[in-house]
Amino acid sequence: MTAAPIIAASRLTLRPHVVSDFPAFAAFFATDAARFIGGPLPERRAWSGFAADAGSWALLGFGAWAVEVAATGEFVGQVGLTRPPHFPERELGWIVFPRFQRSGYGTEAARAARDYAFGTLGWTTVVSYIDRENTASLALARSLGAVEDDAAARWDVKDAVYRHTSPQVRE
Amino acid sequence: MTVAPSIETDRLNLRPQRRADFEAYGEFYASERARLMGDPLDRTWSWYAFAADAGNWSLLGFGGLTIEDRASGTALGQVALNLPPHSPERELGWLVFAPAEGKGVAFEAARAMRDYAYATLGWTTCVSFISPDNVRSLALAQRLGAVYDPHAESIHEERVVFRHPAPKVRA
Repeated sequence: MTAAPIIAASRLTLRPHVVSDFPAFAAFFATDAARFIGGPLPERRAWSGFAADAGSWALLGFGAWAVEVAATGEFVGQVGLTRPPHFPERELGWIVFPRFQRSGYGTEAARAARDYAFGTLGWTTVVSYIDRENTASLALARSLGAVEDDAAARWDVKDAVYRHTSPQVRE
Repeated sequence: MTVAPSIETDRLNLRPQRRADFEAYGEFYASERARLMGDPLDRTWSWYAFAADAGNWSLLGFGGLTIEDRASGTALGQVALNLPPHSPERELGWLVFAPAEGKGVAFEAARAMRDYAYATLGWTTCVSFISPDNVRSLALAQRLGAVYDPHAESIHEERVVFRHPAPKVRA
């Protein structure tokens, strides 16, 4: 798989990124709203991150999806399976742009991506690295049934590690 | 959805970037030699730069290719066609890892990539943005027939713009 596959969730569509997604992505990373995930970033750095999420599919066989509302096509954020070399293990991550937060979109998109990881890719576990002050993301991870894993390695000491486990392993 | 192509030249194979190439890229980006292309990058940002060049194929329809020695399979560097949103126009860029310098590798690879841009992608012009301190790249641009374009807008105040000759008009 060299590009993100399209996944239909109940209210959302997960699809490959397109260049016209970038202004909204860059606008998010330009603000303090991105402070928990490495922002704020200047546009050229935001582009590297954006294009790298697309490139991850060709390099690793997994990567990020743009998330849009199926009914309206509104671009609400992204969800991704990532493993840059500085991550100790594979991650499930998400971004929901501020005006779409509290909609449940993040949970729905992350669940769909995780189903893909456990189902199609056959992963048995994946983690989410979350800044301990990022209360919305911590709540999202818990709502997905992820459990804090104090023993897991992390690349940023400010992060908590939430571990998702495949239902096939839990049985 | 464009997938990175493979292009063969006399001595080289320009092929899609692979995960296993990253160590060599990361070493290059971390080195003083990378200062001529911007600040040296840490491992994290090296990955995003590397993966972004792979992702550009799906986003832009063009991007980076690893230069491989046909005889040995060794990765020698990279050529890339690029147009990040902060760039005024389409660029042809190159980098050669230290052991491969001085052998005409970048010339052979850049000329083949330019041919691809003109013949396959239908470009009618492209530029290279080069630091005035990067003596080797300035010489290579001139050897490729590119000329200093004082009127062209640059991507960065510390880069001069070399414009490549237009494709030959085909009968």
